[in-house]
Formats: sequence, structure tokens, C-alpha cells
Amino acid sequence: MRRTIGASNGLPSRHIGRVVDSSAIAAEWVPDLNFLLTVNNAEELSCLESLQRGGLTNVAPITGCPTIFRQLDVAVLDTEKALLPGDVVAVSGSQGFLHVLYREEDKHHTVFVTNRCSSNCIMCSQPPTSHEDRWLVDEGLKVGRHIRKSPAVVGFTGGEPLLAGRDLRILLDEMLTGHPDCLVEVLTNGRGFANPELANSILQDLPPRVSWMVPLYGHADFLHDFVVQTPGAFDETIAGLLALQDHQQVIQIRLVLVNEVLTEIEAIVEFICRNLPFVANVALMGCEPTGFALANRSSCETDYADWHQSLTAASSRLVDAGIRPIIMNIPLCVLPRHLWSHAAHSISDWKRVYVEECRSCSVADRCCGLFASHEKGWRPGRLSPIREEVVNEPI
Amino acid sequence: MSPEDIDRACDSILDAPGKALTVEFQGGDPLLRFDLVERALDRISMRSSDRQKRIQFVVASTLHQLTPDICKSLKRYGVVLSTSIDGPQRLHNKNRPIRGKNAYERTIEGIALAREHLGPGSVAALMTTTRESLSYPEEIVDEYVKLQLLDISLRPLSPFGFANSRSAVLGAAPQEFFTFYERAFERILHWNREGIQIREGQAAIVLNKLLHSIDAGYVDLQGSCGAGTAVMVYNYDGFIYPSDEARMLAETGDTSLRLGRIGASLSELKAASPMLALAKHGTSSLNLVCRECTYGGFCSPDPVMAKAQFGRLDAPVGATDHCNRSIWLFDFLLIRLKEADPVTLSMFRNWARPRQ
Repeated sequence: MRRTIGASNGLPSRHIGRVVDSSAIAAEWVPDLNFLLTVNNAEELSCLESLQRGGLTNVAPITGCPTIFRQLDVAVLDTEKALLPGDVVAVSGSQGFLHVLYREEDKHHTVFVTNRCSSNCIMCSQPPTSHEDRWLVDEGLKVGRHIRKSPAVVGFTGGEPLLAGRDLRILLDEMLTGHPDCLVEVLTNGRGFANPELANSILQDLPPRVSWMVPLYGHADFLHDFVVQTPGAFDETIAGLLALQDHQQVIQIRLVLVNEVLTEIEAIVEFICRNLPFVANVALMGCEPTGFALANRSSCETDYADWHQSLTAASSRLVDAGIRPIIMNIPLCVLPRHLWSHAAHSISDWKRVYVEECRSCSVADRCCGLFASHEKGWRPGRLSPIREEVVNEPI
Repeated sequence: MSPEDIDRACDSILDAPGKALTVEFQGGDPLLRFDLVERALDRISMRSSDRQKRIQFVVASTLHQLTPDICKSLKRYGVVLSTSIDGPQRLHNKNRPIRGKNAYERTIEGIALAREHLGPGSVAALMTTTRESLSYPEEIVDEYVKLQLLDISLRPLSPFGFANSRSAVLGAAPQEFFTFYERAFERILHWNREGIQIREGQAAIVLNKLLHSIDAGYVDLQGSCGAGTAVMVYNYDGFIYPSDEARMLAETGDTSLRLGRIGASLSELKAASPMLALAKHGTSSLNLVCRECTYGGFCSPDPVMAKAQFGRLDAPVGATDHCNRSIWLFDFLLIRLKEADPVTLSMFRNWARPRQ
């Protein structure tokens, strides 16, 4: 989620609206959405005034100009002039920020379903909170309705989305019916689906455009339960995976490559190939150096170049089982060349950075780059630019 | 088969509880009475969709009588073809003497015609091993590679039917077959190392059981080899049999495994006395020898084969060809698995995966 500096007057906290400029307002306006009309000059100001005289109560001005902002009773200040038409924005003026909840040009879109979680993973990039946050579901529904240009894919994440219970299905239905070509990927620990009633209430007759991304950190309970710091989690996640398969869902298993997982990765992959051969793919993911990962540095910091052999063995084992391995969040220069075909252009747009070494690299444009948080954490290995021309290797 | 029996058989087939069924037409050569095949294709297709069943049609044929018109009809119903290729021209023609001495050539023409109209994956082939075949394992595999038939099944000569009376001449003693199998297997590995992904069917069945948790659904090593439970055979004599082997027994005069007349209901067939006997003698957990066997969990006795070999369903399991061959194959593949280099292991794992 992008965040930019701003302020607002006369609007409720977490007011959601779509940014629109004066040339497009006539075409886009509908009565049941909120609009943030770009107002940066006298002409645009008069456009706003004429709309308000016409009785449109769902149009508020947004401006990059402090003078205009101060003139108006109801207005949003976009201090950094960072917003674009089509952005769906949450205005939290009192905090001094604007949150861009949806941007059309982004490839990675996220709906935060809740910030509560039933696990407590040692490398969690976004430590959970415990307070009630149903408002996130309401906000998610509003964002879905305010999107002008349907995304190709939206990720639902948390916290743990299954803690929202039936509300998750309501959110899914809103996104799937409002955006008929959109695919939804839900990131969940799957534990809730160990409860058959919850599994039925969410999965029954679900349109086939949803896939489920479920982390599994062990081939046995002691390892998985350690990584997620929750006794009993392994059994529930396995039950959840089987429930998903029962409902004919598309499943991706995700392994975050902390040292404890890397040590056992061949056994974990063997377990998956043997016992969960129905999953579509398995993501092998570099750890994001933020959140709890900073506190558990000895588990989470690693040089992935030291693990070439394990990563290679794990990938081939998956390929043999007909399961696609997808390597994420590890820059190409840290991977051996033969694994590049499995490497994804991962890391969300708003979290991805490139560094000095990437400038002279010939494959930077198809590399996942680094997490921005590496600056306060660590790098995933020793970076060295790939110089030679590499053509036509599929990614 | 009479048109009335065709209709009745089709209706019984659709009563089978499975959601995904395979309907295979065998003969003789079904293409000699394609009018009856079409009648069945039409009737089953018409009635399967509203019962939410997925039906895969297979026609087993020499393809000698295949014509473009027949292809067009097959295409309409999504039929795939199963033919016989025993090996190179000389061997195939020796096994299958016809007047023109050109069984091989005519099948090759049929395969080409089928591929032209129905697509490159529309034809599969099975081979029959004879005493003559035993000297040509490499040539047989090479023939399959040449014809781009990348699934080969190295089966021993069956002790049934027409071939039985001459099996002393045609059939192979177990040890001779094993030697043949090993050489052919080696050749298959050779081609895989060359990048030609040819797969041996018998090994795939065993590897699926050893290495994969989703059963590929092959009936060969299931309880009673699936006779009557996974398979039902509607024969031109107007009777229903629990398997092709049981039908072939009837061909030689032993009709004891008949389940009933075509038109009998599925529940009548299930209650027929041969079914109970097959269940009793075809279940590994009910057999002392199988219960002691390392491979008991993967395999089971084949009472129909036992009857063909010894005249009784309850012949001592350990004496049957089926048992000896299965144990040998499990042993062989476990040794190959243990010794496999990474490339071979990868290939074995690939073979173990269920095909859709």
C-alpha cells in the first residue's frame, strides 16, 4: 500500500474516494460512489463550484496547492502531488497521510482483510494486532466498488483472512461479481478450513477465479509449529489444504526460506510431492527483512547463494511431480542460472527497489530486485551485476 | 452383436455409478461393423450429458478398415484409437498373418490416416509378446520410437483364448520374458537419455503405486484386477463378463464366469455368483500368501488368470504366472529405483504421475 503525505478538512476519517480530473468527472460520476476531483487552478475550481451548485454531494476537491486547500471548507491536500486519476484513496487527514488503496498502473493489488492473525510467524513482515477490525472488510468492499479499471489480479491478505469468517466470502463475491475478469489470490494459513462448516460457507459454489496461497513450513509438526509459533498449527493447515482440495480449489503452497526451512527443504518438498500432489505450484520465497524477521535475525538472515544445491534439488523434485516451483524474492544474481526459469518477477511494486549494483545489470528489468526494507535489514546475498547479454530465457 | 443388445448394453453402461467412464469397443475388429459402433456412440453421447458423465470412447482396431469418413464420425464423438503394433514389419506380419501378408503396412497407413484427421495423439498401440518377439527387444522399442508411439506396454503373451492352444509355440517362459523385458527396458532408458520420452506401461503402473499417492486407476493390479468392479465386458454372444480375460475363457468353452445376459440390471450382475467368488479369491487381504507378501498392499491375486492357468479360481497364488511376474516386476523396479542416477529417478517420478 502506498502512503503519501496529505491532510483533509471536513471529511470523515478513512473517507474513501476515487481521484478524477475535471475532464472526466462527467463521464465517471455515479451517485453511489465518492469522488475526489483534482482542483489545482481557477478553471478547475469553477468546475467544482458548478458541480456543487448542481447539488452533487459526493464530489470533494483534492489539491496539491496549500492555498486552495485553505480556502475550502471541505478539501483534501495532496502535499506531494502523488495521486493519479483512478486512484482509490483513503483520506486520513488527522494522521497527515493519504493511503492509495488501489492504483490502476500497479501490477500488485492488495486487500487487507484483517490485521488479526491466528499464527505468530518468526519472520512475519507485518506483525498482527489483536483489536477488532471489521472496518477493514467494509473498506475492502468500498474499494472494490470504487475501482474504475478492473485489475487482472487482486491479492487478499491480512493478518489471517479466514478470521473474517463469512465476511471473507462477502468480500470475494463483491470483487468477483464487480470485476468479472479479475482473479483473486487469497493468502491464508488455511487453518480455519480445518473447520468443515467454515470451509463450506466460504468455498461452496465459489467461482473458479480464486486461488489459495497457503504457507507450509515443515514436513512435520515440530518444524511448522515452531516457525509459526503456534502448537497444533501444522495439523490444522494440513486439514485446511485437504478441505481446499475437497472443494476443487487451486492451491499454491508457500515456503518462506528461513534457515530452519532451508535446512529441511528437501524433506518438506518430498512431503508435499508425496502427500499433497494436487497442489498447482510451490513458491520458494526469500524472506522480507522487516517486522519480526528483524527480531529473529539468526533465523531469517541468510545468503541464498549458500543454498544453491538445496534449492536446485527441491525445484527438480517438484518438476518431476508435475508441480511448478516458483522462486520469489531472490534476485537473479543470487540464483544459479539454471534456476532462473523458475524465478518470478515478484516483490510488490511499492516495496521493490534496485540498488547501485543493479544499474549495470543486463537483467534488472526482469529481476525481482530487493525489498525496500533491506536498507534497515540485510541483503539476500552478495549482489553482482549480470553483464552479458542473455536472450530468450523464459521467465 | 444385435442392435437390440447394443442398445441395452449402452443403457446398462450409463447406469454405472462412475462419473468418468471409458467405453471401449473391441472385436474382432469393430470397424467391420462400424454401423453398430456408431449406433452405440450416438446412443451413449445423447444420454450421457444430462447424467453428467464424462465418457471417453476407445475403438480397438487394426485400423485396416479405417476410412476418412469413419475418421470424421470418430472425431465427432472424441474417439481415440487403440491399435496393435508388435514390432518391426517382419515380426508384426509373422504374428498376424493375413492374406496379403501386409498387416503391418495396413496398420501403419491406418495410423497415418487417423493422425491426419484426429490429431497426433489420437492413436495408442499395444504389443503382444510372442516367442518370436523375445529375440528383438531393442528393435521393438525402436519401432515404437520410430512411429512416435511413446507409450509402450511390454506385456507377456496372455494364456487365454486363441493363443492358449498354441502357447507352447508362441508364449514365453517367465525367465525368457524377464530377460526380454530387461533388454527392452534398457533400450527405453537409452531413448529417454536421448530426449525421447517413451514410457513403459507396466513399469508406470508399479511406479505409480510405489512413488505416488494418487492412484492412476490402472486396473491391472487392483483386486481381482478390477474384474466386475472397475470393468464390465458386454460380449457379442449376448452375455456380460467381468473382464476381457473372462470373456476369452468363455471363448474356449469355460462359461463359468458369465454374469448374466445383456440387459440384466447392474444390481443383478453384482449379485451374480461369479462376482462373489472373484471378490473372495481376488482380494489380497483375504489371501494368506498375499498378506505375507511385501507387495500385498500394492497388488492382489488374479483369479481369472488362475482359472485360465489351472482351471480354478483358488489355485495357489504363489504358483500363478500373475504372481511371479508381479513380484519380479516390483523387485526389478525397486532395484532400479535404488540404483537410479538423478536423471533416471526424475524419469521414474514422471512415469509415476497419473495421466488425466
